[in-house]
Amino acid sequence: MKRLISLWAVGILALVVQGALATLLGPPYCPDLALLVVISIGLRWRGLALGLCLAAALGFSADLLSGSLLGQHTLLRLFAFLSAFFAGRQLNLRGPLPLVVFTAVVSLIYSLALAAVSAFFVVSSELAWVDVAGLLQHALVNGILVPWVFSFVARVLVWAGDDDAAARTLDIDARRRLV
Amino acid sequence: MPGFLKRMSAPVAFGALILLATVTMVTDRRALRESSGRDLPWWQGILLDIAVPLQKTLAAPFDAVGDGWRSYLALIDLREENEQLRNEVAVLEEENLQYREALVASGNLNRIAAMRDEFEIPMLPSEIVGLDVSPWFRSVLVDRGALHGVQAGNPVITHEGVVGLVTTTSANAAKTMLLLDQQSSIDSVVQRSRSRGVVRGRGIDRLEFEFVVRGGDVKPGDVVITSGLGGVYPKGLRVGEVIEVSDPGGSLMQIATLEPAVDFGRLEQVFVMLHRGPTMDLLYGTNAPAPVERVERATEGGTQPAPVAGPGGPAS
Repeated sequence: MKRLISLWAVGILALVVQGALATLLGPPYCPDLALLVVISIGLRWRGLALGLCLAAALGFSADLLSGSLLGQHTLLRLFAFLSAFFAGRQLNLRGPLPLVVFTAVVSLIYSLALAAVSAFFVVSSELAWVDVAGLLQHALVNGILVPWVFSFVARVLVWAGDDDAAARTLDIDARRRLV
Repeated sequence: MPGFLKRMSAPVAFGALILLATVTMVTDRRALRESSGRDLPWWQGILLDIAVPLQKTLAAPFDAVGDGWRSYLALIDLREENEQLRNEVAVLEEENLQYREALVASGNLNRIAAMRDEFEIPMLPSEIVGLDVSPWFRSVLVDRGALHGVQAGNPVITHEGVVGLVTTTSANAAKTMLLLDQQSSIDSVVQRSRSRGVVRGRGIDRLEFEFVVRGGDVKPGDVVITSGLGGVYPKGLRVGEVIEVSDPGGSLMQIATLEPAVDFGRLEQVFVMLHRGPTMDLLYGTNAPAPVERVERATEGGTQPAPVAGPGGPAS
């Protein structure tokens, strides 16, 4: 329980910080810290069902503080968490570079999916306005920042009682059941 | 059996959460489409109320850095700009004098005074405390909420023009959808030629103005204002200026690109118009929360309280 509450608080803090940062930085350069928190949790979390609930709670919090439809970030953060959860167990993301690349790719797909969901529910023309260069810059900014967020989340997990979170390896183990 | 349940917990949780998120989106979309806003239930409003003061505190150093940088940039060309502005002021003063003379001569001054009375809508000065946490949506958080009389559907403006519309309120905060958001649209009119059309947000720092080609007279430099016909915004608020008109081809509708009247990059203080248009009042009916009885009035520097017009107050 302590893990859940502390990580939810970290997620809210990330939302508040990125909201404040947005006053200084333009949209492509303002990092999506809350998404990075969800990805970092996905890479370190044990127990898929609880992790999904946590990701959904963080997504719903983002929806409340954003102009998105309620449920839009909730839905997509579930997938972001899942991708990190499985990638963390199938790929070696221990080095900073693989982590940066993985996060940048997830961020890019996340932004495109957000535009697609908006286009489906809100306006049909939104996809035409997607600024690909902006999406790439945003993904890159997210990727660059992820090692710090990842390390912070691991520290919080250790503080919350998950002793081996910081030291847990992400070795490839193809024989292991995922679910 | 317990092992089976344990194995199935993740897929079941995943399915349930996906379903919940989708249903929430559909419900929220319907709520937005039918009423252009919603007041959050208390348990959702708590998060906004917690986030707003935190964001305000955290944004302070960022704002200071931004202000410092802008001040530095402003200093660079200050003398040249000052001289240019002095010249412009002189020209404008001369123009203004001529216009006043013309108005007095045509007896329009009384009509303008009457219009001004119609626009006497109580306005609540508010501060922007945070931008959208998602870079792909264009909304802002303001530090006034339902306790101050703000309701979903209230227009938000600055001295430059239209900012957007309050979409969600909690006790002490309100989420405002900016004009730039792709969900935003305003019935507008070109000030010069009175050509009517709809201004839509594009999610970027430009707006699009869609108007009928036949009889439509729109040129770069034209000022576009609210028409008041949408029933949301009062008439005559500045929306933007035409910077480009696209070739209509064979289409009946033509698109003009507008530069918003408001500089959204420097948005700090706004005014919430404590009045909902007739459309909003019809949609909300008598269930609308009653605004507080006394609020600060923008015209009096935000210090003198004044009575607030209720749903039957000044109309657009």
